[in-house]
Amino acid sequence: MRSTLESMSIALGQRVTVVAEDLGGAWLLLMAVFRDLWRRPSYPRLIVEQIYHIGVKSSGLVLITAAFTGMVMALQFGLGLEKFGGKLYVPKIVSLSIVREIGPVFCSLMLAARVGAGIASEIASMVVTQQIDAIRVLGTSPIKRIVIPRFVGCLISLPILCTMGDIVGIAGAMLVGVTELGLDPSFFYNKVVTTVTLLDLLTGLGKSVFFAFSIALTACYYGLNVKGGTRGVGQTTTKAVVVASMSILISDFFLTKLFFVLFEKG
Amino acid sequence: MASSSFDNVAVRLKNFAKSFGSKVVHTNVTFDVKRGECLGLLGGSGAGKSVILRSLVGLEKPDAGEIFVEGQEISKLAEIELLEIRKKVAYVFQNGALFDSMSVFDNLAYALREHTDLSEDVIRERVLKGLEEFGLKGNESLYPASLSGGMQKRVGLARSIILQPKVVLYDEPTAGLDPYNTRRICDMILRLKERGATAIFVTHDMPAAFLVCDRIAVLKNGVIHAIGTRDEIEKQDPWVSRFIEGEEY
Repeated sequence: MRSTLESMSIALGQRVTVVAEDLGGAWLLLMAVFRDLWRRPSYPRLIVEQIYHIGVKSSGLVLITAAFTGMVMALQFGLGLEKFGGKLYVPKIVSLSIVREIGPVFCSLMLAARVGAGIASEIASMVVTQQIDAIRVLGTSPIKRIVIPRFVGCLISLPILCTMGDIVGIAGAMLVGVTELGLDPSFFYNKVVTTVTLLDLLTGLGKSVFFAFSIALTACYYGLNVKGGTRGVGQTTTKAVVVASMSILISDFFLTKLFFVLFEKG
Repeated sequence: MASSSFDNVAVRLKNFAKSFGSKVVHTNVTFDVKRGECLGLLGGSGAGKSVILRSLVGLEKPDAGEIFVEGQEISKLAEIELLEIRKKVAYVFQNGALFDSMSVFDNLAYALREHTDLSEDVIRERVLKGLEEFGLKGNESLYPASLSGGMQKRVGLARSIILQPKVVLYDEPTAGLDPYNTRRICDMILRLKERGATAIFVTHDMPAAFLVCDRIAVLKNGVIHAIGTRDEIEKQDPWVSRFIEGEEY
């Protein structure tokens, strides 16, 4: 009994140590990014490349996800509220949910899966094949050449994708509202425009900026700290996606609470 | 005082110690490499030869001791300060470590684009000249994945020395190569030596080591067990002869 307790304590201690090491390492990486961001040389071409890979190439995935999420939400709320005569509230509920929560969270989760996995595996492969060491011994910085372009690419792409996702999601909801629920399109549009405020849009975008940090930091950190050769690349990729997704969902609660306290308390 | 002690020394390791967790790799390694000299670093697998090489470019930090490269102590330098040192010290990786997203041409042009103000025309001229010298003419548009192991090593070597470094560190450059390609790599190393570059050559390939190195240092139990010419180290300890002949580990 005692030995079981001891082994559980040791396992817990090791787990806590790993989490503390990861948090410390990620923090140091973030500091290095902020420090090197202002140092010359800069690589605008690499940033543009990353915006293309992260933003443009993810747009199809994000927009399809947003459209069908909006459609499902409209259908669920519409059919549910119809029983209580609340079908007319569908535009209001769906648009607010999409702009404040579903848009940024789903968009970020899609990006964590697609881009986070891609960044983590690419960087991990470069570590395993000593390409990161080669960048360093050739007198250049992997933070500047590899990490910063991906950070900036995520930070620019994700808010834009979220905004596009919001629009497409609401359009999808409107399509279902009109075709399935029998709502008038101009009524739906007017309700959306009068319900969603600039503050709602900004809180959603604020979340997406935070989530972009989270995805880029997690993917780059785990990629740079890969262990165990090519087998480690797969494990690192999985870990990066899981941690990024978890951090998006957990931080979403706290950000929602924070924005609520800051802007809506009064 | 300091300058006179480094007059003819390109690389100096003094009381170097390094461990990884509980595994002690080096306890006290000390040696000098003179300017223009090629020092071979031999030792069994896991003796820590590559660790020394990596420490000389700041890829590893020593637990204790000092590392001098061209008279400058580098063991305590920050990453940003090491970038300058690395322009003077080339590192040739065992597998080439080529950037797989770049063509052979771009791999060679990398350091020139990063560290010089040369025009693209001049860079092209220098890269093509480098490729010709290493027998790689006509391969500039290929990507590393389509090159043989020997070609990858030669491109890696060509990329490392394109900035004409003062010190070249070779990490098993002939490992896994056939005798013909081994000979080609050795000839290239000898050509660089003729131009005055200081070199440290880590290898398990004894014939190659004796062909290109002026002196040999043998690592054993975390220290330099023997150092000197082949005759000198074999006289220092009969174990060295047996190690070289592959009779003892």
